[in-house]
Amino acid sequence: MMSPLPAPVRAALAARWPEVFPAEGDLDPNGPLVPADSHYDLAALLKEHGYLLYVTVVATHFPTPEGDTFEVATVLRNPSTGKAFWWRCKLGADPVIATLFPLFAGADWQEREQFDLVGVRFAGHPDLRRLMLPEDWEGHPLRKSYAIDTPHAPWR
Amino acid sequence: MTLNPWLHGLVYGLPVLLGVMGVGALASWWERKFSARMQNRIGVDVFGPFGVLQPFADALKMLQKEDLVPRGADKTMFFIAPAFPVVLCVVLLGVVPFAGYWDDTGTWAPAILISNLDIGILWVLSVSGLMVFPLWMAGWASNNKYALLAAMRTVAQGVSYEIPMVLAALVPVIVAGDLSIARMVAWQATHGWMVFSLPVVGFLAFVLFYLASLAEANRIPFDIPEAESELVAGVIVEYTGIKSGLFILTEYLHTFIASALATAMFFGGGHMPFLAGLPAIAQIVLSATAMLVKTSMLFVSIYWIRWSWYRFRSDQLMELCWYYLVPGGLVLVACTAVSVSLGWV
Amino acid sequence: MTLPHREADVTLPKPARKDPHVDLEKLDAAADLMAINMGPQHPSTHGVMRIKLWLDGEMIVKAVPYCGYLHRGVEKLCERLTVVQLTPIVDKHDYVSPMTNEQALNIAFERMLGLEVPRRARYMRTIIAEIQRIASHLLWLGTFTLDIGGTIGGGASLMMYTFREREAILDVFEMLTGARFHYNTHTVGGQRHDVPVGWPAAVKKMIDAVDAHMPEYEQQCYGNDVLVLRTKGVGVIDRELALELGLSGPNLRASGVDLDLRRDEPFSAYDEIKVNVAVATDGDVYARFDVRMREMHESIRIVRELIDSIPEGPICSQKPVKVPFAVKLPAGRQFYTAIETPRGELGTYVIGGGAEKGAAPYRLKFRPPSLHAMSALPYALVGHTVPDVVAILGSLDPILGEVDR
Repeated sequence: MMSPLPAPVRAALAARWPEVFPAEGDLDPNGPLVPADSHYDLAALLKEHGYLLYVTVVATHFPTPEGDTFEVATVLRNPSTGKAFWWRCKLGADPVIATLFPLFAGADWQEREQFDLVGVRFAGHPDLRRLMLPEDWEGHPLRKSYAIDTPHAPWR
Repeated sequence: MTLNPWLHGLVYGLPVLLGVMGVGALASWWERKFSARMQNRIGVDVFGPFGVLQPFADALKMLQKEDLVPRGADKTMFFIAPAFPVVLCVVLLGVVPFAGYWDDTGTWAPAILISNLDIGILWVLSVSGLMVFPLWMAGWASNNKYALLAAMRTVAQGVSYEIPMVLAALVPVIVAGDLSIARMVAWQATHGWMVFSLPVVGFLAFVLFYLASLAEANRIPFDIPEAESELVAGVIVEYTGIKSGLFILTEYLHTFIASALATAMFFGGGHMPFLAGLPAIAQIVLSATAMLVKTSMLFVSIYWIRWSWYRFRSDQLMELCWYYLVPGGLVLVACTAVSVSLGWV
Repeated sequence: MTLPHREADVTLPKPARKDPHVDLEKLDAAADLMAINMGPQHPSTHGVMRIKLWLDGEMIVKAVPYCGYLHRGVEKLCERLTVVQLTPIVDKHDYVSPMTNEQALNIAFERMLGLEVPRRARYMRTIIAEIQRIASHLLWLGTFTLDIGGTIGGGASLMMYTFREREAILDVFEMLTGARFHYNTHTVGGQRHDVPVGWPAAVKKMIDAVDAHMPEYEQQCYGNDVLVLRTKGVGVIDRELALELGLSGPNLRASGVDLDLRRDEPFSAYDEIKVNVAVATDGDVYARFDVRMREMHESIRIVRELIDSIPEGPICSQKPVKVPFAVKLPAGRQFYTAIETPRGELGTYVIGGGAEKGAAPYRLKFRPPSLHAMSALPYALVGHTVPDVVAILGSLDPILGEVDR
């Protein structure tokens, strides 16, 4: 559940990104859509405000008639209140987004998994290898363009 | 009585060897039933009454298994390494007196004993010191990193625990004034068992010897070389079939012999009260039974510990040896020497 | 191969946090390191995983875990299966606590759709979750001591006893659902199987047996000096690192973070009861062990508290499902929610409006606590020896089915 942000955090966010986080009213229940270049700064700001627990990162492929788009949702949790917060970033056909590894060590593996399965690259990641699939796997299975019965060596 | 050495070996050695092998097989069955009881299980119960023939079925199974030699292994070493521990165990058996009787002169004479070696204790310590070599050979020849790690641990552990073992064995040597195990038993038959004749020190020396034997025989909590939860199976990880079976047999034999030695050195061996005056043959049978009972009790206690304790880490094992057991052993030896020189024993 | 050389120890950089991506060439060019693979076939890897270790003597200089050996592409599969069809799939994720997997999934769908769950079903879910927690922790305790004590040793003895208790728990679940392991008893809006006659009595009997045997386990663990020696001060994960890594559940609480979603983000009937959260501060193997042992007591208490007060009423707010397309997720809706499983925060990120006219999720991402626990290995292992690997891995309690999905 998207819990309401505490007032100080809300104020800090509104001061920085007024178009995404209006000072009043509910936030987008699907997670606020943040410009991709603010991704790292937002995470850093939230970490300063007590969102210390790195929960997860989810990349999703949205094919559109104009071309591929991607969304990267990042979930953080405040361990003192226990409430989670997530935001989304929209990416284009060549999905690259800043890594959160310098802030959250756990981003290492989570981002590797999303790179592996969805093909979103995380700029600045120290070790961006496939996590689940073999190194020589072709393609990224969680893309909508990847048919569920795509043949792959050695089962080609 | 001087026999041809070959004949001597055959006449005295073979029965003891076969008996001990049988005891070893029975011991492995007993351990399985014992551990099953400890673990709320039934244990082996298919082959023979109460599954007592299971060890033989296991041996038969192991003989049929494919003999795999890993690529890159040192084949010669890999092949001969499993034979050595068994040989060394059998050699150790040679000096253990399994029974005795009061002879005409009123001294306790050994009965079931292959060789009454004058330097019995020295022999035991040096041979069990050799025990690390076949394990090292196996670990090195396997060309496996787990086996190599285990072999290095084995050597470190075997060499380290040799020292407390020597110190513990020195206590009965000083008290009895003899290196021969048979004469040590004879001393205990007239002066009382070692654990009691030297009030506290004797018991502590026994504990020290027991712990060092556990480590020498690679039993839990000191089974670092096998350590199957971290090193898979330790030095025997690459061995299959009867070769790994020989290593396992060695473990049983070694444990049994360590128990027998501890019995002979600290619990009077085959000595038991109320024997004097009986016919010699009855005395021998009764004392052999006493020896077996005492040894079995120690043997079972080793397995009791094995099935209820966890394993030390290798550095903690070394710490225990060098920080506690070795200084403790030195103190024990000093105490014994003082007691003996003051004539307290 | 050289003996552990002291010079190398001196030159090893000791940063505040050990960088798992350390370049071995830069670390110590002269060190004679041995690379060794623990796994994928190794008795103590709790499934199929591999840790590549670089050893200096027996000391670990670098550790790189590899997972994915059990990857079944479940998230891809989820894009084709409908909401109703998914429950039996997630049973196979964390195969040690299937019940809580089902709950995590169904609670996510219910919260997304705004569905009300009858109070009886919520009570049942809470009881089931707590019993499952006991079962999961019992299995963990058995395998943890197995790692420390060895398969032929004291560890195996304790494992046999914990399996005795776990067997009783599986019997209770069998009585409820008819299945021993892959239950498929939760559904969107409630439960499939109502409480059978005599079930509360059976649960109470089982709980009494577990409670009666807890002192036995504690005596065998806390009372064993070797276990304490092996676990204290080993594999320390400090509070900050634990939070950054996203550890959750007992692993996080052992590092001094008082976070439990049962209390902080209540699901099922946890808002009606008080949950005492076990927290330890050391962050070592012993702390994680201690937290889990205390959690078992708390679970026993919660089950006892709830089992007699299961309210009457319906068990499902939805009509019994006849077709797999009965429940549809709203298109364009995105949602993250999580529950506390025995291993920690099992989150579900759902995007609605997928295949089968919206009956399947567009994207379903699981947030497995075990994956985060495993990602702590490169940090926790460095500086320890090979025997500690199994102790640390066992204390983190990863289930590889859940890690790889």
